[in-house]
Amino acid sequence: MKKNFVLAVLCAVLCWAGCKKTTPQAAPGTETKNETKKWTIGMSQCNLGEPWRVQMNADIKMAADQHPEISVVFKDAQNDTLRQQAQVEEFISAGVDVIIISPKEAAPLTPVVAQAYDKGIPVIVMDRRVLGDKYTCFVGADNKKIGRAAGRWIVQKLGGKGKVVELKGLMTSTPGQDRHNGFMEGIKDSQIEIIFDADMKWLEPNARKEMESALARFPEINLVYAHNDPGAHGAYLAAKAAGREKDILFVGIDGLQQEGQAYVKQGLLSASFEYPTGGKEAVEAAMTLLSGKTVEKEITLASRVFTKDNIDAGGEWLSE
Amino acid sequence: MNKTSISLKTGEHWLASPTTRVLAALIIVFVLGLLFNADGAFFKWGTHRDMLRAVSVYGILACGMTLVIISGGIDLSVGSILALTAVCFSLFTIHYQTAVILAILVCLVISSLCGIMSGAIIARFKIQPFISTLAMMVFARGLAKWVSGGQKISTAVQQADGTYQYVEVPGVFNFINSKLLGDNITVVTVIFLICIVISYIILTKLRYGRYLYAIGGNEEAARLSGVPIIKSKLLAYGLSGLFCGVAGICQAAQELQGDPEAGISYELSAIAMVVIGGTSLQGGRANMWLTLIGVLTIGYLEKILSINAIGEDKRLMLTGAIIIAAVLLQKTKK
Repeated sequence: MKKNFVLAVLCAVLCWAGCKKTTPQAAPGTETKNETKKWTIGMSQCNLGEPWRVQMNADIKMAADQHPEISVVFKDAQNDTLRQQAQVEEFISAGVDVIIISPKEAAPLTPVVAQAYDKGIPVIVMDRRVLGDKYTCFVGADNKKIGRAAGRWIVQKLGGKGKVVELKGLMTSTPGQDRHNGFMEGIKDSQIEIIFDADMKWLEPNARKEMESALARFPEINLVYAHNDPGAHGAYLAAKAAGREKDILFVGIDGLQQEGQAYVKQGLLSASFEYPTGGKEAVEAAMTLLSGKTVEKEITLASRVFTKDNIDAGGEWLSE
Repeated sequence: MNKTSISLKTGEHWLASPTTRVLAALIIVFVLGLLFNADGAFFKWGTHRDMLRAVSVYGILACGMTLVIISGGIDLSVGSILALTAVCFSLFTIHYQTAVILAILVCLVISSLCGIMSGAIIARFKIQPFISTLAMMVFARGLAKWVSGGQKISTAVQQADGTYQYVEVPGVFNFINSKLLGDNITVVTVIFLICIVISYIILTKLRYGRYLYAIGGNEEAARLSGVPIIKSKLLAYGLSGLFCGVAGICQAAQELQGDPEAGISYELSAIAMVVIGGTSLQGGRANMWLTLIGVLTIGYLEKILSINAIGEDKRLMLTGAIIIAAVLLQKTKK
């Protein structure tokens, strides 16, 4: 009896919610809004778990807000390859004018991107690549180059020799591998010694734990190179708890405004290397495409290094 | 003949006691640490203090998890509720500058309500705990992301014009993050030990504790003997939520921020700790001290692998093997 009552209430609530939805559709404001929005961009993000990807979406939104004639539909694939495939298919059938995709993986998303491309919908691929050349353009930064720049910067900073702890990102992921390999190239001809390394899987609590172990083991550590800024911050907190944060330099990657840049500004990190999201560049490319012009197939994003000395001037662009 | 068999029996009995078996796993791990001491790093108290710090948040979750598992249930939502509380606590203390006591109280109420909600669905509508808390795990994670706008809540506060302003770390963060007794123990570890003692008192000194054992042992029999099943279960999940809240506050203080992605897969670590403590997942059997030993076993294992800089692949394999070995050690011969 009680169960029936609960069911009835649920039904009533659902009906009410359903009825409510129809009201705004009938409102006159929305139709005129659709008319001014001439073009629609579909954006499929592989996940919104990482702050960096949240930032990418925010950058795209901010850039798109400058153009009143476009509207962006955002979809979050929640780290699910099949879901991301479905999202691109939905964009194709909805007939969007441009697709922006930051794919989770190359191989499984290549066919569906090619399908959109063959149907004449421009596809802008961001950060991670798809296979082959059936896409309109790729926007991304080069992790290996950034790792190399970090390595060189560290060699210079330490005067060619020193004891370094490397806190790696997830080493089964390409950014983790590239940031490591680039770094090794950067420090190749120096006497920099990696005395301790661990896979902290991009996570700050893990970085802190691993750094505690490094501190317990080595009385002398000159610098910590972490594959992302949260990792460097976790290492800083561990060193601070051990009272050794003044003897160690901390270097991270990503350079987000509210993370890496903030840590540099507060004097916690010595440097943070930017890994740009490319959100703005992607929207610019989309606008160029929509106006009927063509864009370059490869748009490689330049990155900056933020240090205490240059942060107020907006960082320094990496040469190379 | 008779004599020897008796002494053999008592000998067996001593070895068969759950405490000995659970302790054996810890001792084995500890001896491994003595052997692979990473150039003496294992002999420094600092290493042990850091291990206790790192394991405290998991340990606090394991307290609530033990209560729930005794009642024959399971709580998969602990990691998500931890994230939700961490985000809320950071929002209140960093962004809104709320009074600390008020912020703590509100956060604990929120986390307890999450637990009570799972409990209500389990007890009132007889939904399996696995499913109900799985739903809460997803829901609370979403809520944490929604409340935080998908961003970490840190001392870099975004203003209306998109620029960032940097505020001081609240005093309560620094306090929870500090050490006591001449730098020998961290505050989070003390909080963890208090949680263990509270759970111990609940289980052994209160009538409610016996209700939990009774429900886990045989729910129908408990109901017939007048145990208030629904209320007891509600309270068990509510308490688990409360401990998640405490853990979330500790997590936020240690990271100096509220991360909506914090605590992912922490529920599995907490369950592993409880299970290594000899608790049966079928309920009705557990002991708070054994959970503490389980927490220490996992903590020491992770620490030893970490100070020796063992690669991730070998770490996972070794952890899996040790969990199985520890559980096999407890299997009583029949």
